[in-house]
Amino acid sequence: MSPGVGKTYEMLRAARRRKAEGGDVLIGVVETHGRRETEALLRGMEVLPRKPVEHRDRTLLEFDIDAALARKPALLLVDEYAHSNAPGSRHPKRWQDVAELLAAGIDVWTTLNVQHLESLVDVVLRITGVRQRETVPDSALSRADDIEVVDITPDELRRRLTEGKVYVPETARLAADNFFKVENLTALRELALRRAAQTVDDQLVAAMREKGVEGPWAAGERILVLVGDDAMAPALVRTGRRLSDMMMDSPWTVAHVEQPARRSDPGKVFEALKLAEQLGGTTVALTGEDLVGAVLDYARRNNVTQIVIGKSRDNRLKEITGRSLAAALLRRSRGAAIHIVTERAQEGPVHERKRLDLTTGWTGYLTGAAFVGAATLAAWGLDEVTARIDLSMIFLAAVLGAGVLYGLRPALAAATVAFLIYNFLFLEPRYSLAIGSPTDVLTLIVFWAVALATGGLAGRVRDQARAAQKRAAAVSTLLAASRTLSGAADKTVAARALSEQIAAAASGSALVLLPQGEEIIPVAGAPDLEPLDTAAMAAARWAWEKGEPAGAGTGTLPQTPWTFHPLEGVRARSGVAGVRAAGLQDGSRDRRLVTALLEQGAVALERAELAADAVEAETLRRADRFRSALLNSISHDLRTPLSTVLGASTTLIDYGKSMKAAVRDDLLVSIREEAERLSRYVGDLLDMTRLEGGALSVRAEPLDLRDVLNAGAERVKRRLGGRMLSRDYPDKLTLVQADAGLLEQAVVNILENAIAYSPEDAAIELAVYEDRGNVVLSIEDEGKGIPTEELERVFEKFRRMDEPTDRRKGAGLGLAIAKGFVEAMNGRIAAASPIHNGCGTRVLISLPKALETPHHLL
Amino acid sequence: MTGSGQRILVIDDEPQIQRFLGPALEAAGYEPLKAESGQEGLRAIALWSPDAVVLDLGLPDMDGKQVLEKARAFYEGPIVILSARDREIEKIDALDKGADDYVEKPFGVGELLARLRVALRHAGKADTGPLQIKAGEVLIDLDKHKVSRSGAPVKLSPKEFDLLARLARAQGRLLTHKDLLTAIWGPAHAADTQYLRVFIGQLRQKLEAEPSAPRMILTEPGIGYRFEAD
Repeated sequence: MSPGVGKTYEMLRAARRRKAEGGDVLIGVVETHGRRETEALLRGMEVLPRKPVEHRDRTLLEFDIDAALARKPALLLVDEYAHSNAPGSRHPKRWQDVAELLAAGIDVWTTLNVQHLESLVDVVLRITGVRQRETVPDSALSRADDIEVVDITPDELRRRLTEGKVYVPETARLAADNFFKVENLTALRELALRRAAQTVDDQLVAAMREKGVEGPWAAGERILVLVGDDAMAPALVRTGRRLSDMMMDSPWTVAHVEQPARRSDPGKVFEALKLAEQLGGTTVALTGEDLVGAVLDYARRNNVTQIVIGKSRDNRLKEITGRSLAAALLRRSRGAAIHIVTERAQEGPVHERKRLDLTTGWTGYLTGAAFVGAATLAAWGLDEVTARIDLSMIFLAAVLGAGVLYGLRPALAAATVAFLIYNFLFLEPRYSLAIGSPTDVLTLIVFWAVALATGGLAGRVRDQARAAQKRAAAVSTLLAASRTLSGAADKTVAARALSEQIAAAASGSALVLLPQGEEIIPVAGAPDLEPLDTAAMAAARWAWEKGEPAGAGTGTLPQTPWTFHPLEGVRARSGVAGVRAAGLQDGSRDRRLVTALLEQGAVALERAELAADAVEAETLRRADRFRSALLNSISHDLRTPLSTVLGASTTLIDYGKSMKAAVRDDLLVSIREEAERLSRYVGDLLDMTRLEGGALSVRAEPLDLRDVLNAGAERVKRRLGGRMLSRDYPDKLTLVQADAGLLEQAVVNILENAIAYSPEDAAIELAVYEDRGNVVLSIEDEGKGIPTEELERVFEKFRRMDEPTDRRKGAGLGLAIAKGFVEAMNGRIAAASPIHNGCGTRVLISLPKALETPHHLL
Repeated sequence: MTGSGQRILVIDDEPQIQRFLGPALEAAGYEPLKAESGQEGLRAIALWSPDAVVLDLGLPDMDGKQVLEKARAFYEGPIVILSARDREIEKIDALDKGADDYVEKPFGVGELLARLRVALRHAGKADTGPLQIKAGEVLIDLDKHKVSRSGAPVKLSPKEFDLLARLARAQGRLLTHKDLLTAIWGPAHAADTQYLRVFIGQLRQKLEAEPSAPRMILTEPGIGYRFEAD
């Protein structure tokens, strides 16, 4: 829990017990800080020597991970999990060393102070005023099989401090004043205990889930925040975060329930879920017609103990009737606390002014007028034929038609005109607008009421349809965007996809600018990558440097037509996106869609960048490993034959005259042999360099594998010695598509390997056969074979089994080159061993068949 | 195995190569001449008209293939190329530009001398080559278009015979795919090496004692074929 409680001491005591029980225990690294009791425990234990690492003319003694891996004990003690390794070490952090050790199958015991946990850094800073620099990610802790909390009371710890058991006495006083305050220690102690309890809790949950036991079971808190598409969503998310803080960082999840029958605004939900992720929560989208059922089902399965919901104003009616979400949850939930967050005044939903304006141009009015005209003619005709009919009905039909088809305003206009005409032509006194009886006023009111009702209704239906359409479009745009963006492998592709998506969503133009060196430059644009003028570039640069929007519609450089938004990823700003669209208004649906796209794009760009970095780092690392292996090999494999050549030739020059002819000849032969070996080695190095450097050009042509095997055999003929070479070829063989030179070299390398690793009188068999799509060549020797666990690795570079029978052994490159060449030709290579009587190795190369030769040419 | 005083010009800028090739050629009965650059080599060919030329492709002043092309304009004798192993394309290119054969560096003297002998023999009887060629059990009568194996006639298709005849006439010289394809199938098929594989396979089936380990028609993978006569 804190320095000085005796973690190392405890660990060493446990290790001694394990050793006494006969366990294979190795102390990888232990910091005793000069504490005598701890040092005493080291006596009699096997301690790994530390590795000196030079750093700025100081020598640091660091943990030697390679030695530990080589020694491979059953249990390894590695003190101070949070330690940062000296610069230039393999891993920057010790916990990464431990991860590698674990992966190698070594059990590790380590120690950790609770304040070094990454997620607790802020909490610890608040408690102690000290910001911890050496941290361990929480995932590294959750990897632990067991956690043992070393716990003593704060008073005891302070007593030990003053006795000088924690630090050597001179620093003890200073430390006691600053860090080892009782209140600090108490808080840290609580943290440690809770964190340990939480790990136990996580394991319990995992175990329960495995066994299918229904929750809630455990003591740990789990928070579920339910958000909708209303304005309260962000406040609810923040409440969840605060609640999680209050409950010692309990896991919290923000859920949105998609109800198929009810369309919600994806932009707002997306924003809320995004916010949740930024604040460290997890998010989930649930679906279900029954909102309460879906929520409770999820809560039960995930052992949720706290549910946060919002109460908004507009369901007061449901509240009274007891049908509100809160009431339903309360009634149906079991074992979970429910938090109801009421909205604050300023967060109240801003009612969008219902737009009564449904003008659809003049068409509505003209058609309305036409309807009224038609009604007038009809009424006129009917009036001639029969006297007793209520002509107002006919006009009402016209108003109704206008309302249904064109909405409110044309309907009202039609109602007014219809009433005037009806009044003028058919009501007594005729041909005057004077109103004769109160019932006529009623007629007017009825006309208007019908117009209002039908027009408003039709308008709303059309509004809803249009909105639904837009929503569907927005959702599909987002979906499509996220698909293209997440598929983008490099930044330029991601930038292009992003600009296209934004331009489409904003119905305008879009640009994406990415940093290059100190500057940001436009890399993609839709519909075109247009050049930016100075003002626009200045706005883009501002957005890049300050991280806030600039350009049109903002407070900075608003004179340019472009608005630039910084693309903020999770870790850093990845670029700037420019949008130029006239019709894009703040708060509109398109605007929100663009915002969502910008966020997605930022993440996609960042991911592409990280992926590129990872590839580059991996390439560098491999190149580095290859270089060091190469240097080792050169120093050994070049020097050995050279010393023979030099030694034999100087012997001949100095003493040749006094030697017997046979001895002289033998020396000459050895010079030739060693020179040939050197030549092969240089050839291998060249081949390897071509492979590694990517300079390999494959000239595929139809080949007869029998020819290639024969040519290869011819080249190694002189080195066969007493070994019998047999061939097992079919009479007819389909050609393969391969590069003759490369394939011959691969065959030669395999043959040389077979010669080097098989006894002088053994047989080597060359065989070819074909299956449906491939032709396979097989080279089989009678050497002692390859242990199964080595089989996978025989094709690695600089890999050689110890003691080949041929003293002119290769540099361990031959098979790696063979593999490289074969794979460059789209072939596959594999080794099998042992093949008979526990010995022998068979190497197979399989190559795709070439197309058959047209028969008419033969 | 004497070279009976034939003059061999070695064009190579490496003094160490010249240092051992000179004595080796001399010991084999040839008269060695040397040139250390492309220009000097071309002059030497014009001046001395040697019986054969050994040409290194990596020269300081000009590309070896250029030397080859210029030399071929006025010199018809055999030219054997020295080249490094990883320059396969260059080798084929040189053969197609008129070189007679190639030897990979590093090389043993024995190998180079064997190639030189083949090249010189071919050059000596290029036009008036023998009408009958014998390779092991196989007898090829170029004039009568007849082939027999152990005395029994072997039936070959016209294309098979043309191919065999062209290989046999070269007498051990390496013929590239392009050379053979152009001669037998015409320039349009110069890249269709699969025809060659098929026909060579058929010839081997009919003529070789052990078709899987041929001794008469030898493959140089990726480059071409050579015919090994007695």
